[in-house]
Amino acid sequence: MSSPGFNFSNAVRNNFLQEKGIPLPKATSTGTTIVGCLFKDGIILGADTRATEGEIIADKNCEKIHYITESIRCCGAGTAADTEFTTASISSNMELHALSTGRAPRVVTAMTMLKQYLFQYQGHVGAALVLGGVDSTGPHLFTIHPHGSTDKLPYVTMGSGSLAAMAVFESSWKPNMERGEALALVSAAISAGIFNDLGSGSNVDACVITATQTEMLRNFVKPNERVEKERRYTFRRGTTAWKTENIRSLIVSEDITPVSAGGDAMDIS
Amino acid sequence: MDRIDMNRLKSGEVNLGTSIMAVQFDKGVVIGADSRTTTGSYIVRIVSRMFSMAIVANIYISQANRVTDKLTHVHDRIYCCRSGSAADTQAVADIVHYYLQLYTQSHGSSPPVSVAAGVFQDICYENKDGLSAGIIVAGWDKEAGPSVYNIPLGGGLFRQPWAIGGSGSTYVYGYCDATYQDGWGRDETVNFVKNTLSLAMSRDGSSGGVIRMCVITEDGVERLFVPGDQLPKFWEGREVLSAPVKKSLALAPMAIE
Amino acid sequence: MPDMTSLAHPQQRAFNPYTENGGTILAIAGADFSVIAGDTRQSEGYSIQTRYAPKVFRLTDRAVLAVNGFAADGNMFVKKVKQRLEWYRHAHAKDMPLRAIARLIQTMLYARRFFPYYVYNILGGIEEDGTGAVYSFDPVGSYEREACRAAGAAQSLVQPFLDNQIYFKNQVPAPGTSHPAHLPLPTVLSIVIDSFTSATERHIEVGDGLEIYIVLAKGRTLHGTESIGGMQELTTTDDGERVFVVRRDLKKD
Repeated sequence: MSSPGFNFSNAVRNNFLQEKGIPLPKATSTGTTIVGCLFKDGIILGADTRATEGEIIADKNCEKIHYITESIRCCGAGTAADTEFTTASISSNMELHALSTGRAPRVVTAMTMLKQYLFQYQGHVGAALVLGGVDSTGPHLFTIHPHGSTDKLPYVTMGSGSLAAMAVFESSWKPNMERGEALALVSAAISAGIFNDLGSGSNVDACVITATQTEMLRNFVKPNERVEKERRYTFRRGTTAWKTENIRSLIVSEDITPVSAGGDAMDIS
Repeated sequence: MDRIDMNRLKSGEVNLGTSIMAVQFDKGVVIGADSRTTTGSYIVRIVSRMFSMAIVANIYISQANRVTDKLTHVHDRIYCCRSGSAADTQAVADIVHYYLQLYTQSHGSSPPVSVAAGVFQDICYENKDGLSAGIIVAGWDKEAGPSVYNIPLGGGLFRQPWAIGGSGSTYVYGYCDATYQDGWGRDETVNFVKNTLSLAMSRDGSSGGVIRMCVITEDGVERLFVPGDQLPKFWEGREVLSAPVKKSLALAPMAIE
Repeated sequence: MPDMTSLAHPQQRAFNPYTENGGTILAIAGADFSVIAGDTRQSEGYSIQTRYAPKVFRLTDRAVLAVNGFAADGNMFVKKVKQRLEWYRHAHAKDMPLRAIARLIQTMLYARRFFPYYVYNILGGIEEDGTGAVYSFDPVGSYEREACRAAGAAQSLVQPFLDNQIYFKNQVPAPGTSHPAHLPLPTVLSIVIDSFTSATERHIEVGDGLEIYIVLAKGRTLHGTESIGGMQELTTTDDGERVFVVRRDLKKD
């Protein structure tokens, strides 16, 4: 019988190992710049695409804008696994909620579910989120911190690049921007994170949510294309040394001998 | 039993550094708060590759929201001012809000402020080792009229004519004691709250931004807003190094309004 | 909020004079040349302090020093080495030989055994016998002469690559052939550039710019490196060893 929720059966052992000086494995974290911005027709979310494990870049083009519902999306910063699992689980619950109420789900509903889930785990689920979307009550934009506190603002940033991105918003954001202008501002904010924060990098992802449609602009700007290498690193066949050679045939051959000459036909009556 | 650490905030937690206040007057209450929330990310990096001796710990504190609304609705004529952990106080306020809705349905009438304060105290007292929340509950009801309740960190419950809270409050207890008087009307009370918060915000680095206030009376809730560049000004020091000081400079005591 | 807990419990605190400023350096020795390179990003934590802070320095016409680790210590150390070399010049009317500079650096590092310069040094140049040489040091002065060495933030990414490409580790030569003891200059330059573009792709503290110093033995020419643009000569004397520098852009994210 398993109880629902997380499994803590290795916690005692792991604490013991940590005391002995064996550190816990590093979780993939999304060093991250994520932003959200209100504009005339709705919400634009933005994210960089770098995932890090300490100082090493684990993924050069990961997706940080997660699906909640068709018109609600969520950017995640912090522990990659926590942001992915948390948003997937709330996405699932939102679908069930929509089915049971028969109404299009609201952004506040997702926000409340997320904050209650994160509060329950007292910050141990390390997800820092930017939640945005449009519902029957209009456009909404929230930040949700790992301990479960929320803020509602017209423009928000989170992650290690949040200060770089907020500097851009604080200098240029204004109410009722047109789509193009807002999209350029979001790109500028994410770019500030990409170039000035070491935890953020690679490309700009954006997502434009309006009352009528949601547009996911994956790799909207690619300012960090890989440069071509000076040399080719292919190896001659036979480069790798070996100690023994053992060739086995993987073909299984079977001789089939019919038992009775006529054979019994299957009874299909 | 281990000592309970009242001040601890988990690393990286969002903190309502805060100056909050509530004052009773004849017809209602005035509540007010600053708008700053900060978050401290605690970054620990091991510096040493060769020597396992050096560890650097950088504490960065950055602003999470500069226009926060710390005056939280829990019922039609009952609000609370939140200080401490943003996550904890929001969660507690949400639970109380839910409880008061249930109360209204089952009793068929609005709850008195004392009931709301009682629910806040219950939660704060029973979970004192897990919460960092200092809350002021204020409002109007038809039994007691206006009332202000203070629920400080351990979960105590005290009815007071005025209450201040948060990190900024320590700077202005003297000002409040020297200034407050019974029998004020609405406008005098609003000014008192505005001046007190402005003084607290100017001294406390964790408080600042704008002042938000609510006047709660039988008739309704009126929201007031003071932008950051229109805060009441007091003595702000003077230039010491430039501008030669005149011998006959008229230094007067601080004007107390 | 004033922290009252600190009054209740004794807490131990210590000032830490060191910081790690990221970046990577490397050097490769050829038969009659030496290549010393480093990126130019200087960072602390997740912030870039500057996109151009040189980590590689010309000491003489036959010696180039790369320093990596704590930038303040690195700059001070280079300054002091240069000062000692100038004194040597005044006393002996010639530049100090490479192997002597290496021993000098050891002495200077070990002098601070119990408050070390927090830097990894790589010295590259031409020996008195005209061969290319690389000396690598740990922060307290242990050193050795090698054919190639990487150090700094991305050492763990670059050194295995150099072991494979320079020393041909884990590569069996084609039957009837053997691996060359020394690679030609154009090949070495390509490997250096590829090392840094690769480290930039996978390490957050590496990037912005690349500086490659090339030291040529007496009489050797740059022959074969025409494809590398923007080369600048830094040599101060005639008919001796020659020093060149190449500057390249790296990704800035």
